[in-house]
Parts: sequence; structure tokens; C-alpha cells
Amino acid sequence: MIGLIVNESMKIYSRRLTWILLAVLVAITIGTAVNGRESIVNQADWRTETTQLVQKYEERLKITELSPVLRADAENKLKIAKYRLDNELPPPANHPWHALLHTSGLIEIVIVLAIIVAADIVAGEYAAGTMKLLLIRPHSRTGILFSKYIAVSLFAVVMLLLLVACGYAVNALFYGAGSVSATDLFLNRQGQVIQLNVMLQVVKLYGLSLIPVMSYVTIAFAISTILRNSVLAIGISLFLMIAGNSMIEATARFAWLKYLPFANSDISLYIFHLPPRPEMTLSFSLTVLLVYIAALTWISWIVFRKRDVSI
Amino acid sequence: MDQTTVVQFHHATKKVGRRTLVSDLTFEIPAGEVFGFLGPNGAGKTTTIRMMVGLVKISEGDIFIKGCSISRQFKQAIRHVGAIVENPDLYKYLTGWQNLKHYARMASGIAKSRIEEVVELVGLKDRIHDRVGTYSLGMRQRLGIAQALLHRPSLLVLDEPTNGLDPAGIHELRHYLKRLAHEDGVAVFVSSHLLSEMQLMCDRVGVLQHGKLVRIETMQDFVRHNGSSRICVTIEPSSIEHARRLLAALSNEVLPASKPGQLLLPLSREDIPAVSKLLMDAGIPIYSIGMQERTLEDRFLEITEDTG
Repeated sequence: MIGLIVNESMKIYSRRLTWILLAVLVAITIGTAVNGRESIVNQADWRTETTQLVQKYEERLKITELSPVLRADAENKLKIAKYRLDNELPPPANHPWHALLHTSGLIEIVIVLAIIVAADIVAGEYAAGTMKLLLIRPHSRTGILFSKYIAVSLFAVVMLLLLVACGYAVNALFYGAGSVSATDLFLNRQGQVIQLNVMLQVVKLYGLSLIPVMSYVTIAFAISTILRNSVLAIGISLFLMIAGNSMIEATARFAWLKYLPFANSDISLYIFHLPPRPEMTLSFSLTVLLVYIAALTWISWIVFRKRDVSI
Repeated sequence: MDQTTVVQFHHATKKVGRRTLVSDLTFEIPAGEVFGFLGPNGAGKTTTIRMMVGLVKISEGDIFIKGCSISRQFKQAIRHVGAIVENPDLYKYLTGWQNLKHYARMASGIAKSRIEEVVELVGLKDRIHDRVGTYSLGMRQRLGIAQALLHRPSLLVLDEPTNGLDPAGIHELRHYLKRLAHEDGVAVFVSSHLLSEMQLMCDRVGVLQHGKLVRIETMQDFVRHNGSSRICVTIEPSSIEHARRLLAALSNEVLPASKPGQLLLPLSREDIPAVSKLLMDAGIPIYSIGMQERTLEDRFLEITEDTG
């Protein structure tokens, strides 16, 4: 099995496309970090600034047509700002871990790039005719399919690590290395303000995002295996991703939408206490995604194992 | 089952829906034989090859390779097989060496020296570290053969192996396959449309038509069917009928040939003077007369037209 995974990885990293994708990811990460560079907060003046923030959020909450997500966001920020003033807790100075918490939107890029690789890994071998020589080896079809799945999963992990490493490096140039033990204020599930280690929040956010990334990888992989067409697999998966992103708001209105993968695929919503529905929790979302991953993997396996290879 | 049998087809049948693509194939290929698999397009050759290597499920019956069922003991059976199915489709974005390394990892116990050995054997040493995308069809065919030989298979299955090779390459491949079979005892299963090539290469042939094995015999018997030698006479097309009646006295069978004005007589060389005298005496001018060696192509066309 290790040999098969080595083979599949060799095939992924020998392609020029893969390196272009990785270069795109690095470029976007650097660009976002540079763009998001903030001026150093004046530590002495923090009370005035935070008071201004409180006023800003209070004003914003008076707008009646504010969308539920923006309203929840403003309420959260207001709560934290008030807590700061009440407890004499100045906001932390800018540091790379803090910056990484706010660039988690880049995980979408990882999803897009992972979809491109996952969509091709099975269908591409049918298209190039190489599937025939691959399957006439003393290995089960199950082994061959799962070696491909594992290789794409590892590729997704590599991209997530690259995203964090690049983002950290660029931000470290701006703000210095930052403390591993720095803390900041967050809201827990009950909406209470608590102090948490920022680096661990970053690890949690990016680490758990592997599950939503894998759910899109699994969708692309399954379509690739079933339809044997990489273009369709990319197209359908990207369409689902884009349609899914716009479904988070709808989920607030229609309860059944919470059982679809889409509203569950943004981990940052839980880090910043913005669940699409009040009853949704992080473990609920992860469970829903894992059920979809298991089901789609199972379907791919059944199809791949049984099918006659006649192209 | 014979000790030396490498492949055994046992009533192998492939059905898709209500259509039967290949029906009831039963035959064996012993070690050390080059077996030619012939048949017109759509006869089921490729389906048969795909069943043999487990790409397509067998509907009824089974195929055994060294005693292991390809459908029930796939890993043990396929271990002994090296194959090219249709085109030598390899990874274009990898180098030749990476391709071989890839397949070597999928077999057990293939050392680097073995890869070097097959590269040398197929004559790709100079280009092996280039990307396969830059290879000519002939070079890809050689690399295809290299990957098939890597794990020293007992059965080599080659679908149109001479495709894309130049005459020198074909000559070389033919000798190599013969040596592999006759000296190393490998069973070689070749399907090809190049009948003249098959005639030089194969020890035995099987003809598949409409999914059925219509004939299987040694190359010599196959070609010499109905007597080995024939006299071919070319005369004026208008006198064909007249000549036919006259020649019936010498030969009990007078066959029309492929070209107008030609007649084929299943007689031997010694009969040429008698045939020419008979025709000349009747005033029929002879344009040419001589012995005609029958080729695999003639037989192939005869058989497939008979039953078709």
C-alpha cells in the first residue's frame, strides 16, 4: 500500500499543473498577508479606540435591514469590546498568529486547488488510457482506489500547511515572530467571553478545516470515479462549492439545510461564534461532513471495484 | 491440466445485456509457445484480452493462469502476466524511467538492476530519462514491452505489438519474442492485424469470429489446410469457364483466385507441364503459370468469408 501511495504522489508532483497550483496558492497567500497588513495599534490609547468601536457597533446594530450574520458579528464584537473596557484588558498587539485567524478565507483557495487535483486523479487515468496498465498488477482495485484517495488527501494537507507556513512567514516579517502563548478574547458556545491561546485557535481553525476541504475533495473524487470525466468533476464540484457558500444565509431560515454539507463547511464560523443556526455546533458540522465523506467514498469504491474497464 | 499449461480458457463467455461478445472459449496455451490470435475487427479479440487480464469480468466460465482463476484469485493469477492492452498508454508527464519505476513498485522484488536490464533490452538506454511525451510511437511501444517484461512474466499478452515499429524494430521484436518463448519458456499471446507478421512469428493460431473460436491449429497446419501447394494459372478472363471444364480432368477442384483470369489448382509442381499442355492444346493462351505459396492472409480470408 505504501508503494501505491508513493506512486500516486509521484504522479501528482511530477505534473507541471501541480506546481502551478502550489505557486498560485503561495502567491495569493503572500498577497493577502501584504494587503491585510495593519498599522501598529497604539497601546496607550486603547481605551479611546475601544470606546469608539463600541459606539460604531451600537450604531450598526440600529440598522434594521442588517443581515443576520452581520448583526451577530456586530453583537459579538460589541460584547468583546465592552468586556475589554470593564476588565481593563487592552487588545493584543498585532502578531502573525492573530493575522492568520483573519485570513482563513484562503482555505477556499485550498479547496479549489484540491478539487482540481482530486477531479483528475481517477478520470485522468481513464482519459489517458493508463488505467489499463495500472489495474493489471497484483493489487486489488480497492488498494489502487484508496492509494489515490490518500495521495490527494496528503496533497490537501500539504496545501493547508503551506498556507499556514506562508501566511505566518509573511506576517512575521511585519510584526515579528509573535508569542506562542499570546491570548485574546473569544466567545464560547454559550456566548460568554473567554480568554484563549491564539496559536491554538489557529491550529484548531486550520486543522479542523481539513474536514471541509476533504468533503469537497471527496465530492470531486467520487464524480471523477463515477463519470470518468475530470472536466465534469471539476465543474460540478466548483459549482457545488459556490452554490454552497451562498447557502449559509438560507440555512438560518430553512432548518433542513443544516443536513447538507454546505452550511457546515466553514469552521471559522465556530471560532468566531457565528453558527448558521443557533442549535448547530462544531461537532454537529464535523459529523455531518464525515457522514458525507464516508458515503461518497463508499459509492466511489463500489463503482470502481465492479466496473469493466473497456476504454 | 497439463503441467506446462500457462493459460487455460474454460468456457469463457462475455455477455453485455443480451449481447454475447465472446462465447464459450475453451483452449489452452502451453509454456514456450507463441500463440497468434486473429480475427476481423469487432470479433471480440480485445474483449478476450481484457477478460484474460481481469479488466473485464467474465460472465460465464473462467480463465486460469498457471492454475489460478483470474476472477477469483486475481492477485495470484495476474502476478504471472505482463501485458500491453491496445495502445502502450504510459504516463506522458513522467520519464521512461519513472514509468518503469512506477510499475516496479507495484510488483515485488524488482531491483534497479532489473530495470536497467529491460531498458537495455528494448534499446531505450539513451532516452530513458526523457519524458514519455517526447517519445515516438515506436519508442512508446518499446517502453510498453519493457514494463510488460519487468517482473519476468510467464505469460506475455501483446495487443498489436508491432504497431508503430519500423521494419528493423519489427524484425528485432519478432526474434526477441520467439527467443523468449522457445528459450525461456514464456507463453506469448499476440493479437495482430499484420497477418504476414503473425505468420513469421507464431507457432499456433486461433481465429475468432463473431465471438467464437472458429479454428485453432498450428501455423503449418493452418496455412497448409487442404494440401500445401497450389498451381496458379493466369489466362484471358473470357476463357475461364472453358479452362475450368478442361482442367476438371486433372484436378477434382478448381478454385477461383482473387484476381480475374486466375485459377488455383490444388496440384503439385510436377503437374505444371500437363496443365500447360492441356490449355495450349485447347488454344487458350497462358500469361503466367507457377506455384503459389499460400499465406496466412489467404487462409484467414477464406475462413472468415466461409463462416461469415
